[in-house]
Amino acid sequence: MDRDKTNKYLIAAILLGLAFHGASIFFTLETTYDALIHLFFADHYANSWFEPWNFKWYTGFTVMSYPPLVHQAIAVLSLIGGLKFGLFTVALIGVLLFITGVYRFALLMTSNRTVAGYAACLAVFSSSFVETLHLFGQLPSIIGISVLMHALPEIYLWLKTGRYRYLITSLSLIAVTVTSHHVTPIFGMVFFIFPLIGMVIMDHSREGVKSMKEVTFKVFFRSFIQLFKRIVAFGFSSLIIIVGCILPYWINSKNNPITQVPIPHGSRDSFLEITSSGLVFFLIPWGVLLILLPYIFYRYFSKRYLFFGLSISLLFVLGTGGTTPIPRLLLGDTAFNILTLDRFTLWASIMSLPIFGEFAYRFVEGDLKSLIQKKFGRVYHRIIGGILAGLFIFMTIFTISLGYFRPSQPQKIKMLPIVNFMNQDQHDQWRYLTLGFGDQMAWLASQTGALSVDGNYHSARRLPELTTRPIERLENSKFKGVAGIGSLQQFLTTPEKYNLKYIFSNDKFYDPILYFCGWQRLRQLENGIMVWEKLNVPPLSSILPKEDVAKWQKLLWGIIPLLTVLIAFILNIQMIWLRTLRGKARDRVPYLNFQNSYIKFNRKLLRIGHLWTIIIVLITFYGLYLFYLKNDSQRSPENAVMAYYDALDFKEFEKAHSLVNPNRNMSIDQFMLEISVTDGLLSSYAKLDALETIITNKTDTLVTAKVNTDWITPLEKISKTDYVNLVKFKNKWYLEPEDVDLDLPPDQLYSDNSTNYFNQGRRRITTEQTHHEDILKQPVLEILTAKLVKFNGHYAIVGEVQNIDNVPADVVLKGSIYNDMDEELATYNAKYHVKHKLMPKEVSSFRINFEGIAWSDTKDSIPKTFNPDEFTPVTFESPPTKFNLQLAGNVTGSDLYKDIVLSDININSETLDGKLFNAGLEEITVPQLLVTYYDLNKNMIWVDHMFLEDGIRQQRQQYFSYPLVEINEFTIISDDMRNCFVNGLPNDDISNKVVPKRIENQTNDKLQNIDHPDFGFVKIEMNTYIGNPN
Amino acid sequence: MNYKLTYLLLLGFFLMGSSFLPQEIGQTNPIIQLNSDLEFTAGDEIQLKFSSTSKTIPKLYVSNSYGSTVLSATIEEDALIYDLTGIMGNKSGIVNWSFIDSETELSGYFYIKPKATVKSLESYLGPPSIQAGGTDFAMMVIIPTDELDNPLQDSTLVTINNQFRVSEDSSEVPTRNFLAYKNIYSPERTGRILIGSESLGVTSKEFDLNVLASLPANFSISERRNHMYADGNQIVTLTTSEILDDFGNVVEDGTFVEFFISTINGGILKTSGATINGIATAQIIHPDQADEWTVKAFVKGMAESNSISFVFQQLFNDFEVSFSEDNRTIVVGPLKSFMDQLIPDGFDVDLAVFNGEEQIQTINKQTLSGEASFKLNPDIFPEGNYMIKIKTAGVEKIYKSRPLW
Repeated sequence: MDRDKTNKYLIAAILLGLAFHGASIFFTLETTYDALIHLFFADHYANSWFEPWNFKWYTGFTVMSYPPLVHQAIAVLSLIGGLKFGLFTVALIGVLLFITGVYRFALLMTSNRTVAGYAACLAVFSSSFVETLHLFGQLPSIIGISVLMHALPEIYLWLKTGRYRYLITSLSLIAVTVTSHHVTPIFGMVFFIFPLIGMVIMDHSREGVKSMKEVTFKVFFRSFIQLFKRIVAFGFSSLIIIVGCILPYWINSKNNPITQVPIPHGSRDSFLEITSSGLVFFLIPWGVLLILLPYIFYRYFSKRYLFFGLSISLLFVLGTGGTTPIPRLLLGDTAFNILTLDRFTLWASIMSLPIFGEFAYRFVEGDLKSLIQKKFGRVYHRIIGGILAGLFIFMTIFTISLGYFRPSQPQKIKMLPIVNFMNQDQHDQWRYLTLGFGDQMAWLASQTGALSVDGNYHSARRLPELTTRPIERLENSKFKGVAGIGSLQQFLTTPEKYNLKYIFSNDKFYDPILYFCGWQRLRQLENGIMVWEKLNVPPLSSILPKEDVAKWQKLLWGIIPLLTVLIAFILNIQMIWLRTLRGKARDRVPYLNFQNSYIKFNRKLLRIGHLWTIIIVLITFYGLYLFYLKNDSQRSPENAVMAYYDALDFKEFEKAHSLVNPNRNMSIDQFMLEISVTDGLLSSYAKLDALETIITNKTDTLVTAKVNTDWITPLEKISKTDYVNLVKFKNKWYLEPEDVDLDLPPDQLYSDNSTNYFNQGRRRITTEQTHHEDILKQPVLEILTAKLVKFNGHYAIVGEVQNIDNVPADVVLKGSIYNDMDEELATYNAKYHVKHKLMPKEVSSFRINFEGIAWSDTKDSIPKTFNPDEFTPVTFESPPTKFNLQLAGNVTGSDLYKDIVLSDININSETLDGKLFNAGLEEITVPQLLVTYYDLNKNMIWVDHMFLEDGIRQQRQQYFSYPLVEINEFTIISDDMRNCFVNGLPNDDISNKVVPKRIENQTNDKLQNIDHPDFGFVKIEMNTYIGNPN
Repeated sequence: MNYKLTYLLLLGFFLMGSSFLPQEIGQTNPIIQLNSDLEFTAGDEIQLKFSSTSKTIPKLYVSNSYGSTVLSATIEEDALIYDLTGIMGNKSGIVNWSFIDSETELSGYFYIKPKATVKSLESYLGPPSIQAGGTDFAMMVIIPTDELDNPLQDSTLVTINNQFRVSEDSSEVPTRNFLAYKNIYSPERTGRILIGSESLGVTSKEFDLNVLASLPANFSISERRNHMYADGNQIVTLTTSEILDDFGNVVEDGTFVEFFISTINGGILKTSGATINGIATAQIIHPDQADEWTVKAFVKGMAESNSISFVFQQLFNDFEVSFSEDNRTIVVGPLKSFMDQLIPDGFDVDLAVFNGEEQIQTINKQTLSGEASFKLNPDIFPEGNYMIKIKTAGVEKIYKSRPLW
């Protein structure tokens, strides 16, 4: 090919790539997993270029934990047109670099400009690239690998020619690679540069002999010795570059080693078991290349490419994750658990691109075309070509639109109302937390100046509450089972530790846990986000702690990355752009001397290719058939049950209705009515976790089944057993509908009066501090009893608290326990075991558990199954002997619904059965029982609780059966109430002043007598969560 | 008391008088203070004059509650003049000075007094609400300040006015330690006290102090219901009398009253109400079997009601049961209410199945048009003889051995 001409394939590829990716990134990039995180980092650099400490996430973390180039580039561009402009521009630059990178890499490998042009065109639509960009949003990774591909020809030339200019250009490109992504050059060294070195030695040996066949090991070794100096020179200098350019990163990694519990990642799954992971991390990135695998391996295991063959085999195997035990053996447990293995597949697929280009060239206009046409005829060639091209494009479209069909993110949230809320009324003086935002939390974080306890870059987590759990962030904790909710609930129970006052909830799943941890709804913002607030949380101090680093590190970090780009640009600009686009007259590059011959396609290979294709097709069809069997909802009773429960779980009532026996003539209206009347923990806040169908009786048309279900709710795990009848009708299985509540309340319309409260906050609009006369007095509370007890191995403070003021109070109880040496052993707040909102003169029992940071000692014994009620008692070095109790009241006007009545009770030896009646105007979503146990002398000894699974509608009753707790061990360690304080004042003083003539033990004869060997009496109190207040 | 004060004041004047003079240490001191007036007024010109024989002009270090500074002298007619007029001179209080010069060890202090006119009254009242009865109080604090924000000198008279219901009261309080304060004790009645103050012709803004009711006193309760049958459907309303505190005030709205209901079987039921205008109302549903309820209400630890009791009459003492379809379908009813009308939908019927002594399952159903129907699932109850107990409205029927097939 004439070198003075522009390579039209490359130009076409670039134009096509920019048009295709440039148009589509606007619809995909913002909903990817990573893009917004990079945007957040960019925002950090845009605001404080040289200061690596970021206060916004995780109570502070250092951005030196991620190579800065891409972020800094976005930050620089954001000065022109904002952060998103920067993001999209960098993404487009990434596309450009990738396409040209593939071209240069392919040219290096195949020494044929047409083939390289084909490879560049194919690279545009390569499903692995599309996935990495449009689904994962891994910009640094893309830029890293692209620049590495640009570096490969330079490295080749250095090794081959020994000219120092090539050493310098290659090092300049490696520097850019390492400053954009740290993992790429390290593994790139192993998987790309080592085989390249091998290839250079091969080529060097080849020049010494007449044919490739004469390249023996001896010749090879001699060449190796000859080139050894250059290899070592390159190796050492690139090592220096890799370490030196991001030296602060390495220092930071050494000082803060990743000691976290590994976070599960789909790329480590067994792809055969978890097919969704198999799809995303194996099928999509390989795509149509899977059909060409024999050709790719055949070509890469030819003598010249031998080392690339070894490399791609290794990459292929490592990319299979947990499907085979080999990757774990190869990498070792630690690396296996830290690395995300999808990158290996990405690299393997990129490495395949030159060969893919070569195949395309030979198929479209080369020897393969003539072979097929000669053997099978022209039509066959065209059909095959059509199928391959169709599959290729299908994979691209499928990949790019995967985010549309299976959104990985919640709907796009308008952030402005939240940003405005945080700026208002000094709300940004506290930390906030988002729930159910997905990766959009990063976008919020970059827009607001307020600080969050959560974050979206898990390697930088610092709080032990987070690092000891395999969770990425609190924000999506419901998907992380016990560890997630367990971690979240610690933050919710003791928010003052983190100055956490506001929660923005985009997922009502978390509402009950927020309520029962003592949070209250503030209001719904105009974007539909519910704001929750916690009272009695102190604001952030104006000076926050940070880990400072030396000034030289900050300077290095701020200057080097963009400098590497500048240097690389100056050194390479004419070589990359001018040479490839215009073809400057210069020496023929040595690697072009090693042309492959595309004259005679191997017939055997074609046969093997056909065979392989047939195998692939068979596997695909078998897979589809299994998929059909599993998903045809009415093929078997099991499928029908599964589909019905799934539909209910996802609130797809129409689908659920279609599975109900049509002979019952139940209209969808009736079905919806019956389903929707039942509100409650189980029907509104539960996620189906496990389902087991046991067919107990089966005839041809009738089946009865026992369905065991496990439901995850934010409060506890619920196990249920249902008996379901199924009928077969027209070859399809249907479920018989369930019974419904028939209770008829007495009144059609009824009224109720209640006292409502409104706190004006500031009466005057001002940005200054609230006027002192507008600051409400803290309601006066009294601790009636409090004692430190040890109960079945748990230490807890139990007692009773009363609101003795005339205004309703929000109650925060904070207990600390001490040993004999007055050393504080633990501090915790009351969680579920207290009514957090008390009307004037109302009493609540309470219990403060002393929870440790779950599994902080026993990292390896994290339970596999979910249990949100999981409790980790603290382990004490010395036994606690005394306690301190701080009670704080704040005026509140919300969640004061008290119209719940204990309307029936039956006492058994093991259970308390009874009914709760809702006498008010609101539907109770989650009723809670607080049961206080007394001994035979009516001394309080323990407090327990139970959440009812179902809600209670207005004027209706709900049955409950509460199992009495068993007592194994019980001691009162201290009932000394001298260290009880209310709003910072001694409890006794308050008690003597406000209620000097208290009637002691007034309601003792109204305690419920029970028939129990250890307990004499119980007291039952009720608490309610109203999900949808009218 | 008065003597003590006088002595203290005398001692104070003596001390002040002695220390306003420069303290000369050593004989060689070349600098002598020339000022005669050692008290200035904030905002006026404040100059310290010294005569000097020394050739060097020393600097003067000055420090007061605002901060510290170093002054350079200007020389007029052989006198060194140090000028403190300005920001530091606007602040009332003691100013210490000393020369920072090794030769001149001269130091002393003078006093800047606030202006004698009030610009504003800085006033605070807290807490914003108190409990009626005369023991609880709020404190009103007033700090008269001059235009430079200096608190006025002690013994400035402040008049504190307060109004409550029909009475208006006024008292004069001299400032002490810059502030005047008054404890306002709660009256026995609830209401709002409005408070204002005045000093040297300047008045403060209005403050209000809410007097809330004291602790509730004992009260009485009553019940209201539509009929006296235990139909498990109608609602009983329990109402308190107007709850007053010890001084005859109606307790504050929202006061929480708990009603405990003792049933004949020893169960303790519970309902509650929050007061509005002193009256708390609570509701509870009728039981579904004959019972006698004894109700007593409490405001825990503070007050309680009388105890009332009332009876619920049984609706029926027997009911029909029909078995069909291999005895697996059991229909209970029609259940009839007190006038032989069908019982309202949703009346509970429990069916317990025993295999010998072992209870296999209890099924709870609610009536529809007076009937409750049960279906015994052959998977749970395989063929055999079972004991079946049916219970509704407290009436139990036992079928000792029923074959299911």
